[in-house]
Amino acid sequence: MDKEMLRRTRIFIFVVILVFLLLVSRLAYLQIINYEYYWEKAEKNRLRILPITAPRGEIFDRQGRQLVTNRPGFTVSLVDLGSGYDDETIVRLAELLEMEEEEIQKKIDLQYYRRYLPVRLKMDVDFETVSKIAEHRLDLPGVVIEVQPIRYYVLNDFAAHVLGYLGEGTVAGTVIDFWNEAGYVYREGDLVGQAGLEMVWEPFLKGEDGGLQVEVNSTGQAIREFERVEPKPGANLFLTLDASLQIVVEEALHEAVRLQWEDNNFYAGEAGAVVIDPRNGKILAMASIPSYNPNTFSEDYTTLLQSSGRPLVNKTIEEHYPVGSVFKMVTGIAGLEEGVITSTERLYCGGRVTRFGATKSCFRGTAHGSLNIVQAIAKSCNIFFYELGLRVGIDDLANYAREFGFGQPTGLKDIFGEKGGIVASRKYKEQSFNEPWYPAETMDASIGQSFHSITLLQLANYVSMIANGGIHYRPYLVDRVVDSDGNVLMVAEPEVLHKMEVMDLNWEIIREGMKQVTMPGGTASRLANLPVKAAGKTGSAQVAGRGSDIPSHGFFVGYAPADNPEIALVVFIKYGGTGGASAVPVAEKILESYFADETAQESEESSLAIEKDLE
Amino acid sequence: MFDRRLLKNFDYQLLIIVLVICSYGLLVISSATRGDGAESFVYLQKQAISIGIGLFAILVIISIDYLDFYRLSWYLYAFNFVCLGLVLFIGREGGGSYRWIDLKVIDFQPSEMAKIIIIITLARLLVEQKERLANPVQLIPLFLHVLIPMILIFLQPDLGTALVFAAIFLGMLYMAGVPVKNLLIVICSGIAAFPLLWFRLMDYQKMRLIVFFNPDIDPLDQGYQLTQSMIAIGSGGLTGKGLFAGTQARLQFLPEHHTDFIFSVLGEELGFLGGVFLLFLYLLLIYRILKIASFSKDSFGSLICAGVATMLTFQILVNVGMTLSIMPVTGLPLPYMSYGGNSILMNMISIGFVLNVGMRRHKIQF
Repeated sequence: MDKEMLRRTRIFIFVVILVFLLLVSRLAYLQIINYEYYWEKAEKNRLRILPITAPRGEIFDRQGRQLVTNRPGFTVSLVDLGSGYDDETIVRLAELLEMEEEEIQKKIDLQYYRRYLPVRLKMDVDFETVSKIAEHRLDLPGVVIEVQPIRYYVLNDFAAHVLGYLGEGTVAGTVIDFWNEAGYVYREGDLVGQAGLEMVWEPFLKGEDGGLQVEVNSTGQAIREFERVEPKPGANLFLTLDASLQIVVEEALHEAVRLQWEDNNFYAGEAGAVVIDPRNGKILAMASIPSYNPNTFSEDYTTLLQSSGRPLVNKTIEEHYPVGSVFKMVTGIAGLEEGVITSTERLYCGGRVTRFGATKSCFRGTAHGSLNIVQAIAKSCNIFFYELGLRVGIDDLANYAREFGFGQPTGLKDIFGEKGGIVASRKYKEQSFNEPWYPAETMDASIGQSFHSITLLQLANYVSMIANGGIHYRPYLVDRVVDSDGNVLMVAEPEVLHKMEVMDLNWEIIREGMKQVTMPGGTASRLANLPVKAAGKTGSAQVAGRGSDIPSHGFFVGYAPADNPEIALVVFIKYGGTGGASAVPVAEKILESYFADETAQESEESSLAIEKDLE
Repeated sequence: MFDRRLLKNFDYQLLIIVLVICSYGLLVISSATRGDGAESFVYLQKQAISIGIGLFAILVIISIDYLDFYRLSWYLYAFNFVCLGLVLFIGREGGGSYRWIDLKVIDFQPSEMAKIIIIITLARLLVEQKERLANPVQLIPLFLHVLIPMILIFLQPDLGTALVFAAIFLGMLYMAGVPVKNLLIVICSGIAAFPLLWFRLMDYQKMRLIVFFNPDIDPLDQGYQLTQSMIAIGSGGLTGKGLFAGTQARLQFLPEHHTDFIFSVLGEELGFLGGVFLLFLYLLLIYRILKIASFSKDSFGSLICAGVATMLTFQILVNVGMTLSIMPVTGLPLPYMSYGGNSILMNMISIGFVLNVGMRRHKIQF
């Protein structure tokens, strides 16, 4: 080899060494400097978590009766056994599951890069189909039947507005912080509480999903199973609600509406009622009709949206109404407390009165003659309360209304959507209509008309306050939360939100009036025959701005036993006519049922006690 | 059959290095194909047979004086031209290109054979034109000599192998003493011709090049291969995950794991040390080839060795560089490591020629 060639060979070797140094340094960069980065990527490549859905917490009533539970449902899924998905199997499955082949193919395609997950084709498949699939399992390679919990609402459409429902979908904006705080991360397709307790108590009900760690190959087929983390079931809710009372209430409301229809009053259709314990704010029943069935909610959804009576709206908290005469105790307490009337002072009712240029009459023009405040409540005399309201004045009247909790939500936190309603006042009228207050309007306001607009829960709280001497308890539905291991996570304590300062004597005067309402001669005299003495007040609220032929709203508020109140209630029949005719029969059924149950329980307890003594 | 004096100059070291690399390759192939079930053994068996045939081919090559090939040069070139032309018409299709001629027993890949034939024939041309190489115009016939097979291979299409010819051309011209200035002219005209080439490229070839410069464009296809290869190698670390323990290859994240991406499997399972060991073996191999080049009794022998060294260096750089994402995906096999009979056989034959040159370094006196 000549000299030049030798020189060039040396340079050639030098270049080759440079090439190799380049490769070695790149190798060192990847394998030594960035080792951890790539190691993690390789692990992420091969390890996947198969989520195992946690069973959702159950819901029980105050007596431990199951209201919401999970029943096993069959889910038919398709698994890639290593050779892809069999076309013939897809054809057979489409026929068995009554699905389109394209639909199945679409579901498969959606999971193309997650083949370690079974492709869920159809949830909650009926038993007949499942047995057919099981029979032909040899012809259906890769088809698996999984048992998945399906939410089951034992009461169907009873208590639906309290319990709520589940749905797939994004987390509602209003509660997202609440859930994030509780540390929950939601995946697409997760079932999430959409209303009622299911929505607000979602973080407790949901539980913690478990998972199965699997090793997958590049096509996403699971090759090996590793660690399995069992899911932690959601916590159970124990409610203040009484399931049997709830059923009685709803059935009574349906009956009341049915009776209206029989009388050719087809305006009727919506109704609501709340039963509450005035000693602590526990809600025993909360009914809104028409209702819906959470078990079939997703199938019924479009029908529900179009159906009359707006079944999705909870009429006890999400709407407020003019309430009529049930308001009169506000005027009464205001008058007594402000000293503008005494228990003995009599006012004269001639059936008709003209003040400030406005002529107003008593109900159906009845002349009650001379009566005191107790009699005025018992007979629901408008003329008496017009006069009393004028003496009190709109400003003080509005203040007392607010003291009773009107004009703002009562503080129910266990379900969403509570409205605050309206208290008629100078300020309200100015702000809303830019007009001054007329004295004649004070007359309307003092009998619960005018601008007053009040929710049923507010009325329940109001009548509770009369019963318990002015204590505004926060109304609540969830009594305690118990996790799947039996640990009590939360116990609700009665919470006093406000105490109204009223002389005991004045409460007594008002209560006496309400007692006489349920006695012969009172507006709710049919309650006289109950096993316990009840007190109450009827109301028939005229609906402003509508034709005079439209029936008024029927109301009843009350509590029992009159001398030692255990329950307070409000009944509302929208466009039901007079409260006495439409709402009182419902109240009667509620009270009958409640106290029948209670006496039965007491006698049971006492007989148990006797048995013990005998032993 | 052989003169004892010839055997005295046989470079056993070179053969041993080649056999060590081949064995190393068998080991990694067995690991790479483990997940493929019974096929794994078939791969190993076939590769071992290819190596055996390769060794026999070496024996045949070294028994013929390489100077006989000097005389046969034009016949070889013609034969090569016919094969490369034929493959375009009767070639078997695979992966979108026509590279193989079905010979019933084996699939014959003319482009692999073309490399060594071009090395031999170009060596002869360079020897003949030695005095005129300083003149750039004189490079034109040499250029055409390589360009013709290059174009035929490019039409298959096989961009990677076509580029090997460009490398061989430059490497051998340099060693033949062509002034560096003239070589630069050749390189510049090549780069200038690239835009013309671009319009001739298949879409997938364009994609490969685009993706090489920006792997995130196509993370699921071309970019996917590069990314998965880097993950495999990077996750191997210093000592690797252990033979048969690499997850990237076993779980099929690595495509072409026993052929083009064999180095990724090696990097994952045997780590930095395993990779550097292989590169060291290659360096030794090329060093010995160039050593033989320097001993050669004539420049024809030297140039053959230089051509083989260039070919191997280029293929190693491009293949390993591809697995490390510093080179585009071209589908060039890694010499003596990648599974594939044609590549093994032709690389063995190339070594046969180098050994041949080494054995006949002295003029034999009878």
